[in-house]
Amino acid sequence: MEDFLGSLGPLLASTIRFATPLVFAALGGLFSERSGVVNIGLEGLMLISAFTGVVGAWYSGNAFVGLGFGLAAGLIFALIHALMCITFEADQIISGTAIILLALGGTGFLMVEIFGSGGTSPRVPGFKEIPIPLLSDIPLFGPALFSQSLLVYLMYALIPITWFVVYRTPFGLRLRATGEVPEAVDTAGVSVTRMRYFGVALSGILAAFGGVYLSMGLLSAFSEGMTGGRGFIALAALIFGRWNPIGAAGAALLFGFAQAVTVRAPQDVVPNEFLQMIPYVLTIVALVAFAGRAVAPAAIGKPYRKE
Amino acid sequence: MTEERREPREGGSGIGGALRDAGATLLFPVIAILISFAIGAVIVLLTGNNPVTAFAALLRGAFGSPTAIGRTLLNATPLIFTGLAVAVAFRAGLFNIGGEGQFFIGAITAAGLGVALGSLGFLAIPIVLAACLLTGFLWGAIPGLLKARFGAHEVITTIMLNYIAINLAYYLALNPLRTEGLVPGTDTIDIAARIPAIGLGLGRANFGLFIALLAALVAYLLLWRTRRGFEIRAVGLSPGAAGYAGMSIGLNTVLALAIGGAFAALGGAVEVMGVYGKMTVPFVTNLGFTGIGVALLGRNHPVGVVLGALLLGALASGAQEMQFATDVPLQLANVLVAVILLLVTATKLVELIIGKRARALVAGTRLERGLGS
Repeated sequence: MEDFLGSLGPLLASTIRFATPLVFAALGGLFSERSGVVNIGLEGLMLISAFTGVVGAWYSGNAFVGLGFGLAAGLIFALIHALMCITFEADQIISGTAIILLALGGTGFLMVEIFGSGGTSPRVPGFKEIPIPLLSDIPLFGPALFSQSLLVYLMYALIPITWFVVYRTPFGLRLRATGEVPEAVDTAGVSVTRMRYFGVALSGILAAFGGVYLSMGLLSAFSEGMTGGRGFIALAALIFGRWNPIGAAGAALLFGFAQAVTVRAPQDVVPNEFLQMIPYVLTIVALVAFAGRAVAPAAIGKPYRKE
Repeated sequence: MTEERREPREGGSGIGGALRDAGATLLFPVIAILISFAIGAVIVLLTGNNPVTAFAALLRGAFGSPTAIGRTLLNATPLIFTGLAVAVAFRAGLFNIGGEGQFFIGAITAAGLGVALGSLGFLAIPIVLAACLLTGFLWGAIPGLLKARFGAHEVITTIMLNYIAINLAYYLALNPLRTEGLVPGTDTIDIAARIPAIGLGLGRANFGLFIALLAALVAYLLLWRTRRGFEIRAVGLSPGAAGYAGMSIGLNTVLALAIGGAFAALGGAVEVMGVYGKMTVPFVTNLGFTGIGVALLGRNHPVGVVLGALLLGALASGAQEMQFATDVPLQLANVLVAVILLLVTATKLVELIIGKRARALVAGTRLERGLGS
């Protein structure tokens, strides 16, 4: 029992750490998809931001400058996706795939250009854990929930904020309407194009927080392909959570838990390769269990043309 | 009907009409490629190199000598297979991002079975290839079943299955099939049971290329000359109408993804049996993903897939020479591919360049669906 409780705390703490990038990306995906634009490029946006964050921190020696770099890159590449899908009416899924390939190729290219070789970057200053006084003293949950880095606390705050913005503000109403009945939004005098650009831009910034957390919170370096499908897992969390911020965050926590278990499981019992599969298998199981019942925004995936 | 008119075989009358259709079909890819190379030139300038020198080296590396051409063909071979894997599914309105995992399933099947049947010599080749077709078909059917039965979106399930397939292949290569050796991986297939090189000074290019071309032909015949293919395309063009006509959307969904899986797995098998002779850990990656670019460049038509694979294969081999001649990292090729993919369905962009005709040309290259439905 002593042992069990002793390992529960660290397990909970690493669940939160693994869930953090997923929550950021899922909330980002939510803004984009609610506006009617599929963003399967989340994976790529995270990867680009994880890299530019590290580059920024490496040049400046400051984690916050790195974060700024990462957010800017996430925004820029999200806007490229928006330009392609909204303005040029490219296929959204294909554009998203292109963003992922651009991220893989671009970070590979720049690793060689900037750091001289591919693989893993030099170590950079990351975001350190900042225990919150009193709260972090709560037994078991305290250290797990409140002895984390700044970005994790931001993630906690963003869940209710996103919920409030989406369901309780005029902006949120317009955003949701744009994803469901763009014609009505247009008739009401609100620009569908503008709302969709906002949605995709927000997805870029939020995915960037997730990417930067990955390379500078979870680790202190960038390594090629380090997102490892997290953008897709976040998308699955979004579907699993039925495009609702609370639901998506809950699903992201579940996937984070799966990753935490994977990392902490004894390697000698189950072969490592099978442990590695768990989060991906779980994602499929969750999709199978919930996809049929989840209803996507009605106008998702379709370019909007004024008649 | 306007949709069907774009197919070269069913297009306008006579050679003139066919050529006009082919020209129109190539317009999107050509514009995407030109813009992508312009962006590439800017990137090369930014790295402090001369774009003319860099692109000359790229061209030399891709076509400058028999060895270079051989390398281009070698690179193109697996891409034809993974491109077909995407194209066949796309014709059914499905986006198969699972080529990577399906490729690995074929590769590990070929490595395991190829070693076991090595004593059969040349006879082992067709047996192993058939086995890989089967494992790829079954693996590809999984996302099809998940989609048809539970409505799980194939984009996410195929991606997840990639990670599962790669881990499964690595597990097999590192445990039951592992051999003692410097490089972790499976044992090497007996040379007699491997796909031989073409020779003619073409370096390592092997007869797998002809298997790939045959696969493209089969894909064409299947899609345009069989009832099944007609159903698959009908489901892709209009699921509602296909269902109304009595076609099973579920069955065609499963079959399209399964056939795609079989093609990608065959690619993995040919790569193992023609190039490496075994599966090492790590094995070559990203051929499955590049197949997406190949298929879209080729407008999801088998002939286009072959051309797309040759282009991206040339880009990959040229990039090596470019890195050698200048100091532009060869990863630039991946960036160019990504930019091409980004632009290749950009309807409005092409409209800006050639006018309203662009809209009629885009049908069949897009899915118009969201996730989760």
